[in-house]
Amino acid sequence: MASFGNEILQSIVSALLMGMVFALVALGLTIIFGVMNIVNFAHGEFLMVGMYAGLIFARGTGLDPLTALPFAGIVGFILGIVCYYGLIKFLLKGPMVAQLFGTFGLMLFLRNLALIIFGSEPRIAHHGFLVGRSFVLGGTVFEATKLMAALFSIVFFIVVSWLLKRTKTGKALTATALNPEAARFMGIPTERMNALAWGIGGATVTICGALLVNFWPVDPNIGLLFTMIAFATVALGGFGNIRGAFYAGIIIGFIIYIAPLWDAFTTLTGNASLKTIQLHSLKYTFVYLVYFLVMIFRPHGLFGIKE
Amino acid sequence: METLKNIFDFSDSPHRDLAVFGIFTLFLFLFPVLPHSSFAMATMIQFLMFSLYGMGWNTIGGYGGQVDLGKAQFAGIGAYTTAIMLIRWNIPFWVSAPTGMIFAIIWSFVIGYPLFRMKGHYFAIATIATSLVLLDVFEVWDFVGGARGLEMPLKTMPSFLYLQFRNDAYYYYVLLFLFFLGFFYINWFRKSRLGFQLRAIKDNEEVARSLGINAHWCKIKAYAIATSFVAVVGSFHACYNFNIEPEDIMSLDLSILIAMMAMIGGAGSLWGPIIGAAILIPLKSYLGSWLGGKAGLAGLDLIIYAVIIMAIAAFEPKGIWGIVEKSRRRRRK
Repeated sequence: MASFGNEILQSIVSALLMGMVFALVALGLTIIFGVMNIVNFAHGEFLMVGMYAGLIFARGTGLDPLTALPFAGIVGFILGIVCYYGLIKFLLKGPMVAQLFGTFGLMLFLRNLALIIFGSEPRIAHHGFLVGRSFVLGGTVFEATKLMAALFSIVFFIVVSWLLKRTKTGKALTATALNPEAARFMGIPTERMNALAWGIGGATVTICGALLVNFWPVDPNIGLLFTMIAFATVALGGFGNIRGAFYAGIIIGFIIYIAPLWDAFTTLTGNASLKTIQLHSLKYTFVYLVYFLVMIFRPHGLFGIKE
Repeated sequence: METLKNIFDFSDSPHRDLAVFGIFTLFLFLFPVLPHSSFAMATMIQFLMFSLYGMGWNTIGGYGGQVDLGKAQFAGIGAYTTAIMLIRWNIPFWVSAPTGMIFAIIWSFVIGYPLFRMKGHYFAIATIATSLVLLDVFEVWDFVGGARGLEMPLKTMPSFLYLQFRNDAYYYYVLLFLFFLGFFYINWFRKSRLGFQLRAIKDNEEVARSLGINAHWCKIKAYAIATSFVAVVGSFHACYNFNIEPEDIMSLDLSILIAMMAMIGGAGSLWGPIIGAAILIPLKSYLGSWLGGKAGLAGLDLIIYAVIIMAIAAFEPKGIWGIVEKSRRRRRK
């Protein structure tokens, strides 16, 4: 009986850790959305860029994939800034439809560029300090790579909230988010703040990518899945709400782990006949459904405040 | 009588446009007779299919201004209805296509009612979400063949009823008939009450509502119209390709392509989707065949697409038709 209980505990731990990782994926999206009310369809592709950046750095230098994090962060920061000045700046002048399609074009562009450069076969970091390591605590297996990613997620959320609340630049960012017109009159360079939001957003998600590639194989088409997960997370947490995104990420983690949780539950209660294999192939369907339902019933997110 | 007059009334288009379209129509009718390669024929069929898809998308996306990125699910419903009805009950295309259309419209009402409570980006993302949900469900559903999809059974004789021909030219003329049906319908639609209501909603929904327009219901109706176009072309796709897979007919890529036809040609204009398809489809198929042999350059056609989309979105959100109209206005001044 104890081992069955462990199975459930194991699923809960996995869901919790992955949930924190999903929260980190969504962090960049919610920052960008909070500051300038634009939705970045290429968010998952930024993550893919981070994954490839981490992989290439680790392969090229022969160092541990963990040392690639600063490199991935710099790549993401530059990518965000370049995207802002090269594309988003122009899109902001146009109608909403143009913004949608502009970032959509960016998504197609990055995805197919990756396809040409890296080919379509999935890749993953094979060696490294953490790769393949795990330790057992009270009968529950903790994978070192996932644990590290989850820890980084917590650290990033604390650091970013602190930056936004306590530093001068962060306050300027928040001001731009609240009212760009007024912020401009107060002498805040809103244009530069927008670019900074894209830079920070890009950096957080590429660092997350470099962490993710330790246990999740990367291929050029991976972006859409993470874009949808990030959208669901951000919607659940309330658009632009950073703390909400963290809790929402954990909820999304549990939703994706519905199938293993259900399996563990059926074994525990002895109703093995209730086991459904289809549930495993539908795990991301639940995420899309959650987005849909949240947007209908709670458009301001679970933790959002009605304006 | 009034309706009939409106269908064939093009008086708001300059004579030059009509002349160009007349010549183009002549070309369309004569194309199978002219010397052509089978590849050119396949490209032309793709062009007609995608201009129909684009016309459908244009009703909700162009005139109504609601960016829908989930149209592929309805193409899938149309294609699967035709395929399943043929495989299980041997029902001809001309019955199964309208049935598929009705199924698709019912589904569009079911998801359209909640969908249109959202606006802008939220709506666009939600349409993707619904489409992906349906795709995932079809991939695990045994009744529709799961991820492997369905294979259409071949008739021993070519048949107009079942839309199975040996020669592509017959498919071409059936599609051309549908194309003109759709085209004249859109010409009527844009001058109909619903067309004007949609444009009012697109310009300013608050004002439109204050004038007594039921915006929610208007959008749902336009969504159903767009859906019926897409579903019929989906049914045709099943008969033409003999093989449907969820990854193929219900993929996000198809949804994007459908929206792109109208966006790049010019959303909210009569000619937009046709112009978009006339530029994008030959570009796609010839670039694809040219690059197909060169391994490692598989995504280049889509990169060119992406650059065009980004450029259009950044500098001319009204598309190619917007550029034409702008240059005309400049000349008049």
